[in-house]
Amino acid sequence: MTGTIVQDLFEGQVARLAPQGRLDTFTVPAFEQILNEHLDAGHARLIVDLAEVTYVSSSGLRALLSARRRARSAGGDVVLCNMAPRVREIFEMVGFVSLFSIYPSAQDAARALLADTTPHA
Amino acid sequence: MDERTLTLPGRFENLAKISDFITQAARAAGFDADAVFHVQMAVDEACSNVIEHAYGMDRSGDITLICRADDRGDLRIEIVDYGRPFDPNRVPIPRIDPEHFDLDEMKVGGLGIFFMRKLMDEVTFYFDANTGNHLTMIKRRPQ
Repeated sequence: MTGTIVQDLFEGQVARLAPQGRLDTFTVPAFEQILNEHLDAGHARLIVDLAEVTYVSSSGLRALLSARRRARSAGGDVVLCNMAPRVREIFEMVGFVSLFSIYPSAQDAARALLADTTPHA
Repeated sequence: MDERTLTLPGRFENLAKISDFITQAARAAGFDADAVFHVQMAVDEACSNVIEHAYGMDRSGDITLICRADDRGDLRIEIVDYGRPFDPNRVPIPRIDPEHFDLDEMKVGGLGIFFMRKLMDEVTFYFDANTGNHLTMIKRRPQ
């Protein structure tokens, strides 16, 4: 991974995090730190844009699941967008496609996050 | 029979190099793009577990990958390390139930081992005091 692009959308109500390259055991800690910095600051509506991600290992899946649980307990969510077929295949193998909300674009994901006012368990 | 070997320090930063090596070996053995991706993923998970659990924070050492394509076209990948014996077949596999995943089970490598078993046809392990830990995974070529 060569870094993560961070972009605020809708006047900071939603953040888009776009990691680049491989999300493997080496690169996940830096990405997880960015997720946690947002959650620690009370920003619980997060979009993980996977457009530039070529691979997600089990450590990446774990980081996303952990962040999703934290976000939902704070009234937000972690949603995904722009998933390449290879990455989608990984998510399908462990049933994550039925767990995470997945959108075709970051704009679609942002609109859904802003419209969602349902409290989460 | 084609054989390729790679030895690198067992550090997470080398996972991308290992991935490139294994991708080339699987392509050269004639596997299609789906199978190449599956082999790459299984080896990435296996090597992550070796680096984390066999070596861990207090140990370091090399990791060697030996890839052999046999006459039937099957690909045999042997991963050798000299850390603590870590037998993936003895790690509990987490229940694959997305609503109830146990994050602690995922942390000890259970999910990675789930992928190794799902994506490869055979996963075996043996430990030898002289020659180290040997994790062997086989991907069979559809006949």
